[in-house]
Amino acid sequence: MTAPSIAQTDSHGRYAGSPSLLGRVLQNRYTGALVSLLLVAAFLALTQPVFLTWPNLMNIVKSNTVVFILALGATYVVIAGGIDLSVASATAASAMIFGLLLAAGLATPVAVAAAVLFGAFLGAMNGFLISYLKISFFVVTLGALSMFQSFALIINDGVSVSVFSAPGFAPVNAFVNGNVGPVPVILIFNIALLLLAGGVLRYTTFGRSLYAIGANMEAARLNGIDVKRVMFFVFVIAGLAAGLGSVVQVGRLTSASAEIDPTLLMTVLAAVLIGGTAFTGGEGGVFGTMIGVLFLGVIQNGLTLSGVSSFWQGMVSGGILIFAVWLGGMRQLLRRRRQSTGS
Amino acid sequence: MTDRSEPILRLAGISKTYPGVKALQNVDFVVRAGEVHALTGENGSGKSTLAKVMSGMIQPDAGQIYVDGRERTIPSPAAAIALGIVIISQELTLAPTLTVAENIFLGRLPRNRFGLVDWPRLERDAEAALDRLGVHVSPRAKVSDLSVELRQEIEIARALSSNARVLILDEATSSLSEAATARLLDLVRKERDAGMAVVMITHRMPEIYSAASVATVLRDGQFVATAPLSETDEQKLVRLMVGREIQDFYGKRSVAAGETIIEIDKLATPQGILGPTTVSVRRGEILGVAGLVGSGKAEFGLALGGAIAATGSVKVAGREVALGDPRKAIQAGIGFVPDDRKASALLLVRSILENFSLAWFDRIGGRAGMLNLRGEQAEVDAAIRTYRVATGSSSPAISTLSGGNQQKVILGRTFVRRPDVLVLSEPTRGIDVGAKSEIYRMLQDAAEAGAAVIVISSELPELLGIADRIAVFFEGSLEKVFDRASADEEAIAHVAVAGASRHHQTSPHIGASA
Repeated sequence: MTAPSIAQTDSHGRYAGSPSLLGRVLQNRYTGALVSLLLVAAFLALTQPVFLTWPNLMNIVKSNTVVFILALGATYVVIAGGIDLSVASATAASAMIFGLLLAAGLATPVAVAAAVLFGAFLGAMNGFLISYLKISFFVVTLGALSMFQSFALIINDGVSVSVFSAPGFAPVNAFVNGNVGPVPVILIFNIALLLLAGGVLRYTTFGRSLYAIGANMEAARLNGIDVKRVMFFVFVIAGLAAGLGSVVQVGRLTSASAEIDPTLLMTVLAAVLIGGTAFTGGEGGVFGTMIGVLFLGVIQNGLTLSGVSSFWQGMVSGGILIFAVWLGGMRQLLRRRRQSTGS
Repeated sequence: MTDRSEPILRLAGISKTYPGVKALQNVDFVVRAGEVHALTGENGSGKSTLAKVMSGMIQPDAGQIYVDGRERTIPSPAAAIALGIVIISQELTLAPTLTVAENIFLGRLPRNRFGLVDWPRLERDAEAALDRLGVHVSPRAKVSDLSVELRQEIEIARALSSNARVLILDEATSSLSEAATARLLDLVRKERDAGMAVVMITHRMPEIYSAASVATVLRDGQFVATAPLSETDEQKLVRLMVGREIQDFYGKRSVAAGETIIEIDKLATPQGILGPTTVSVRRGEILGVAGLVGSGKAEFGLALGGAIAATGSVKVAGREVALGDPRKAIQAGIGFVPDDRKASALLLVRSILENFSLAWFDRIGGRAGMLNLRGEQAEVDAAIRTYRVATGSSSPAISTLSGGNQQKVILGRTFVRRPDVLVLSEPTRGIDVGAKSEIYRMLQDAAEAGAAVIVISSELPELLGIADRIAVFFEGSLEKVFDRASADEEAIAHVAVAGASRHHQTSPHIGASA
């Protein structure tokens, strides 16, 4: 009879019957990232006239697409309570496959399918080791990080593959750099991907299983969820994202490189975290991840526009990551305090 | 005997308000040395909040705290410990990767003359602290390898080895078996005689009456009464707690048991905790399962639910059930509810809705794994009404509910599936009196609707109240099955402690918890 009539959040972080507007705003998992994004954007809009121009904004979208695609996959993994450290390496490995196949003159759809499936295959290896051989995801993906990286170097002796003049490159270029009217094709693609990823989380039993497993794996197992299978597929999805990301990356760089952008993995995970998906699992979503990606992208853009050395970007995004997670921790603490009344 | 002595701890006019809820309103509470004082009330009555005030975990908005007659503030748990006030709470606070000894002396490990940890002494001291409690566990054991119950006892050993003057037990027995509870109560009496003041926060009547001399009752954050227990019987105390009479506490059934629905033959666990066990249960029947911790009763439930590997044979409605896989158990018609709500049942960060539908993916999942969100919402709303979960909406996180309401969700999501066999481990652990009664009614209704119900419990009175037969485990084997007529608490306790064939060494205090 005494269900606490106190501040109650629902599982999406929305507030049901909050005592104050401030509390409500503070408790929303997206608020921190969204407000920060808007503040930074407003600041840049005032100080850098170029910032708010359409070409610049679209440039932000384009240059962050790889991060965005990988971050969608990473969001799934993190919601399920895991982490995939190998996604950047898997992207490089898939990119080499894609580049070599394109350069060898294969038709675009075949090369794209091969790259995406190869990424999925790498993810499946991770998933198998983690789910069925019960090796810690941290260990597996850390090992995979270096193995995939190695593979990318081995396959072409560390030499980059230029695809610019490959016959199959034109459609890739149109996909990555082309426009429909003023709108980049890749923006439409990203939106579609976001809706798909969000839809699967919200409207399927698979999506629901991810949250359940991340929240309490044993409870999920005891209630009949095939935890092994779901975890296997989560890593397949992360690999699939890497494969897809590699296509976009090769398209943007017009070459496949075995060199991995050293900040890529960190940026992907930072975007997921800043977007409010908790590393403890069971909470979060792709909408937040999108905000996280945009936030980091806008910061990077702002630094570039302001003429700040790119050497500083790591400082800024790393600092922001720690700050955002601290803010998230404070939010949880606040919530817990409010709930811990009575007994 | 020391009734009129100077109070060691006195709280006056304590109030604490959280946004939207008055957790404590003008509460007075007096604890004297050499007294065991029960602090009781339903969940949400504010008793744990009061404990947090006493132990420095939260600060009251108003009111005074006097220790030995001097007004004090207790700004932190460290300050409380410095004043000799030690709390043992429901939440375990052990470091799972450390050893038992390290945990007991965490933060005050003995040093040798080189300033390094004195391991031999640490082990000796730990051994002594454990012996004092009558706990038989190696000081070198890793805490993560121990059962919840042993962990709780280690927590208690830690508190007792720290020179406490006021010991607050906040539902400390909620994860203990009868035997361990009896040991703890024994110890509480000993400490009381040595002059310690003990505050027992509990709503378990047997414990209150076996150890405490006085009880303070809170209801809805308000002080109701402080009553000497010699003049207050159980019924009166419950009435003070709930503000009304509870009739017909365990509920009843009106149908007789039907055909045998589950046949368990030589069910055993590979590690040998559960020896070969053979028993059958009929439709409409409630089988109680009793035994001490480590007797195999918990493993019996886990094996039936497919949660752990097992050998032997289980048949439901004549069909063999594949063992060791929860999915197979569910498909065969076994609904299993584990004992540790937090560790293996609740999705704490998710909504009430998702906690309900966790077990319903086959019902709410349509083609291609798409969820029928509208159907799900309707089913959840119906279940909330059916099982009387006290919430206005299904969208808040389940962690906002009281323990009793959380348990109604966990039981409800399994009951809705109408499994032929229900296997429930400690279904009322840590739940207040009112919610308990409602859960008993849920069990009775399920049995009446034709399910075979297996209830594994450490609380004998509840098994005696609801079960048709009681199976008693001792050292991994099912020693004896009592039917309703022959079941009496002392006989059952005897088998649980000494086995059926061994007639010596009765533990005197087990039966005393009636």
